[in-house]
Amino acid sequence: MIQYTRTQLDNGLTVICHTDSGTPFVCVNTLYKVGARNESPHKTGFAHLFEHLMFGGSVHIPDFDREVQDAGGDSNAYTTNDYTNYYITIPAPNIETALWLESDRMLALNFSQHTLDVQKQVVIEEYKQRYLNAPYGDVWLKLRPLAYKVHPYRWPTIGISPDHIEKATLDDVKDFFAHYYAPNNAIICISGNISENKALELVKKWFGDIPPTPYAYPEIPAEPIQTESRRLVSRHNKVPSDALYKVYHMDKRLSGNFYCCDIISDLLSNGQSSRLYQNLIKNTREFSEIEAYVGGEYDPGLFIFSGKIAGNTSVEKAEEALLNEIAGFIHDPITDREFEKILNKTEARISYSEINYQNKAANLAYFEFLGDIDLINTEKVRYEKTDIRQVKATAQEIFRAENCSTLLYLK
Amino acid sequence: MPDRTHAPALSPLVIPELIPYSHSKLPNGIDLYILHDPSQEVFRLDINFEAGAFYQPQPLIASTTLNMLNEGTLLHSSSELAEIFDYYGAYVDFSNGQHKAEASLFSLTKYASQTIRLLGEMLMQSCFPENELEIYLDNKRQHFLTEKQKTGWLARKKLAELLFGPFHPYANAVHTDDYGKVTRDLLLQYYQQRINARHCTILLTGNITDTIRQQTEQIFSQLPQPSDTPATPDYNFESAEAGYYHIQKDDAVQSSIRIAHKGINLRDEDYAGFLLLNTVIGGYFGSRLMSNIRESKGYTYGIHSFNVSLPLYSYWCVATDVNREYTQATIEEVRKEIRKIQTETIPEEELSLVKNYLYGDLLRELDGVFAQSDGLKQKLLYGTDNNFYLQIIRKIKNYTAAELQDIANKHLHPDQLYIVTAGESTAHP
Repeated sequence: MIQYTRTQLDNGLTVICHTDSGTPFVCVNTLYKVGARNESPHKTGFAHLFEHLMFGGSVHIPDFDREVQDAGGDSNAYTTNDYTNYYITIPAPNIETALWLESDRMLALNFSQHTLDVQKQVVIEEYKQRYLNAPYGDVWLKLRPLAYKVHPYRWPTIGISPDHIEKATLDDVKDFFAHYYAPNNAIICISGNISENKALELVKKWFGDIPPTPYAYPEIPAEPIQTESRRLVSRHNKVPSDALYKVYHMDKRLSGNFYCCDIISDLLSNGQSSRLYQNLIKNTREFSEIEAYVGGEYDPGLFIFSGKIAGNTSVEKAEEALLNEIAGFIHDPITDREFEKILNKTEARISYSEINYQNKAANLAYFEFLGDIDLINTEKVRYEKTDIRQVKATAQEIFRAENCSTLLYLK
Repeated sequence: MPDRTHAPALSPLVIPELIPYSHSKLPNGIDLYILHDPSQEVFRLDINFEAGAFYQPQPLIASTTLNMLNEGTLLHSSSELAEIFDYYGAYVDFSNGQHKAEASLFSLTKYASQTIRLLGEMLMQSCFPENELEIYLDNKRQHFLTEKQKTGWLARKKLAELLFGPFHPYANAVHTDDYGKVTRDLLLQYYQQRINARHCTILLTGNITDTIRQQTEQIFSQLPQPSDTPATPDYNFESAEAGYYHIQKDDAVQSSIRIAHKGINLRDEDYAGFLLLNTVIGGYFGSRLMSNIRESKGYTYGIHSFNVSLPLYSYWCVATDVNREYTQATIEEVRKEIRKIQTETIPEEELSLVKNYLYGDLLRELDGVFAQSDGLKQKLLYGTDNNFYLQIIRKIKNYTAAELQDIANKHLHPDQLYIVTAGESTAHP
């Protein structure tokens, strides 16, 4: 059981505090409710580019990193399709340094053309490193627009192309900041060696006077229901083996459907005793790697199969084998022991995730962002309450050909 | 309203608290270390053997022996083993180092008796089924072929070959056809020679109840002491000439660069000073290389330097992936930064910042029972323990800029660098 307090300040900032006296550190985790999903189709990659700029200095502080490091702290951030998350871990007595830094960059950034120009280049190098210079690196650049036609999940956080990043202007940056970087769009979670009262008092001190933004979020277009199967064949890639991807639409993270889908993915591919591992890698040897997983997106997301096909197996045969496994999952029984195994694994996974204070801060902020912070303690029960019948019904409902997009990524 | 124009006052960083550990010996000579933290719900059991790549008769034998331990025992098939661990939400990780081969069990404390028993069975009664071996090797070969496509991998392997010599086990050179030369007999022989009580260490970390301790002692006391001691191989380092080496990979949009030379051993008296110097050059986000190559010039997403201390050889390395147009420019900047730290003392403000950062980083390395266990495991290889951190922290506090400049001149050699690039060809200097 994780104890925490949750408070909303007058300016709309949500503050979560959790004490963990097992560490000499605190984590200041700040989540802004903006990700690639909030971008315009003509300016993609912006949330992520902006994340880089947040380290370029703010109104009273020219050098963000210098101040963190001088206090013995460490800091980083990441951008997802749904949100942007910043964290500073710092020795507990220096927590005010972290709050000073984090609040100053929420108040106003020190926008400079030079910082923007350099970070555009850095992000383009990141684009190359992750997506272009790595085998199979561009798979999601192809898969997203196949599975989504309307919803902004059709582009990755890095953006549709380096072009969009190249074109970003200082005005775009200022506009983005004014819209999204404000207390009423943020969640701050303090975890670690500090009392909950003291943490809240300090957050009030540093963030209490920052004005909220008046802007409302533009509406995000819903993805229409897919009505026929989609297929893309990508040839002549510089990779040693063919790969197969099949993705199915599923419901959003906060829905009951998510828990069923997550259990399905665990039954199919979590651990070496899972069905796909045993059947497709060990028994028939049609794949050298195979995975099933859920994305866990805020809006309706994807159930993903991804596999590397074994050298002596044809793509057609591999795809048929995977489809047979899916059909078998729907029609053949799931044993009680197999089901219990998944619940045990889930319990262990949740326990492992509670070891580290920084993880807990990120999880608390994330569940608050989803809209139900209690999930930090009640998720386990949600898994336990799911029964085999629901799981099978869910599999039958989502694993339909007309709900599927297939990418063949060939050598 | 808070005063935003001045930084809040900083508190001096505290001396880290070391979690006391216990040490005992099992009747068969195994060293058992315990780091107990009753607030945890989970525990980890690490067991390591003198069975790393250094001792293998041919490529892949050490890692294959280790990874095949969970592919079948006299009592359970591969799928049964996997099912039992999965059922209890536990997992076993294998890591194959140069000298040590290690298995780590991570499990909920309440299922300890089932999971520890099974780990013991894997280590003592493995049977290396032919069929499982074939699958394992096929899939590893596929993975290897994918790795070979990466410029970072190509550069790293080339550098290892240059530093240690192509035949030294530290270079760990593997070719595609090596996967066809691994046989069950070779594995069984390596297993019998190496996975036993000789030079074996166990570390228990987390919520270690009396039952867990007793069970660990009882099970692992049964690991045999081998009658004959296999000879320790005698290898020489045959380092190549320092200089520029290029691996061509057509159409790579970035070049991977590795720049390296001999580094410093953890037990060297200058180790703490060298750690500080490395931090200044490329050891943290605000380092000179990051500021120069990423934050001022935008050539790369990241550039880092690090020192790798191995029992028989240490090296210092700068690593980055850059826009291919800037390959040569980046190499020149790295040289410049090395020369600069040798010819100019580090400004006081920068030195104080780096000392604080490094101190915080070392505190982080000791944060929590699992981090302390990782630290202890590594320090034991060098005949010390986490008190080593306290010494390092003390030394770091006291270094002057002049002393560091001396260390820079003693241990950095900009004219003896191995420079490896992998990617599209670019004119070299």
